[in-house]
Amino acid sequence: MRPRDENKIQGIREKAIEMITNEGLENFGINRLAKAAGVSPATIYIYYKDKDDLINQISVEEGLRMCGATLEGFEADMPFEKGLWIQWKNRAKYALNNQVGASFYDQLRNSTYREQMLKAISDEMKKKAGPFVKNAIKNGEINEISMEVFWSVALAPLYSLVKFHQDEHTFSGKKFVFSEKIMKETFNYVIKALKK
Amino acid sequence: MCNHIPEHILICKTNIAAESDLFAVKTVLDNHHLIEQWNIDQEDVDCVLRIISWHLSYADIILIISRLNYTCEELTT
Repeated sequence: MRPRDENKIQGIREKAIEMITNEGLENFGINRLAKAAGVSPATIYIYYKDKDDLINQISVEEGLRMCGATLEGFEADMPFEKGLWIQWKNRAKYALNNQVGASFYDQLRNSTYREQMLKAISDEMKKKAGPFVKNAIKNGEINEISMEVFWSVALAPLYSLVKFHQDEHTFSGKKFVFSEKIMKETFNYVIKALKK
Repeated sequence: MCNHIPEHILICKTNIAAESDLFAVKTVLDNHHLIEQWNIDQEDVDCVLRIISWHLSYADIILIISRLNYTCEELTT
């Protein structure tokens, strides 16, 4: 056995994410990745069976990393408002500081690789985020609600703000900069809409 | 995560490019009792053959593939 070169693997991983994010999946290949990452194609094949295996492995790792960031400091039995606010802060931090990771996720979400990645994310989120909503319903904090409606009301407004920030303007062309004050103001409306 | 990479992964460049070529090598590689796993990345320009075997060497693999009338050479790391 020879030692795994973790720096080399990390380099391959980061370059793959960068290439897929910037150039899309269609142009992506092991040979091009090897050139860009400064390693031989054989090195990549040591760790990954083929292109599909590489994309699947990296997308699952990236998905789990996103879940880890989202769930930091969050517990399923937290009071609804407190737990959701932690989710908002975590999600905003991840989306604003990991634009490459977030764009990579968007690319994959609309591809044939989506299944494995979404399953990994869903399995991880179900452990805490699912019970959190169920607890809030059980404790009488919010009404019975489907996950789709919950997501659209509870989390989508945050991503609208993030999108305005990334575009640097709103839909009317007005300049926009994300701030915790604006996030909190939006969050308060969300809480007003959801809480009994 | 495992801190070592196995020496028993063999990576070769081939010309096994078409679906019919794959079919031709499949029977031999599937039935070889010293080959644990194998796959060919036909999307790659080098049609990379990846074999997991505890006992076979590059020379053995090259011989097996050459006998099937395909080219095969070690792809070095």
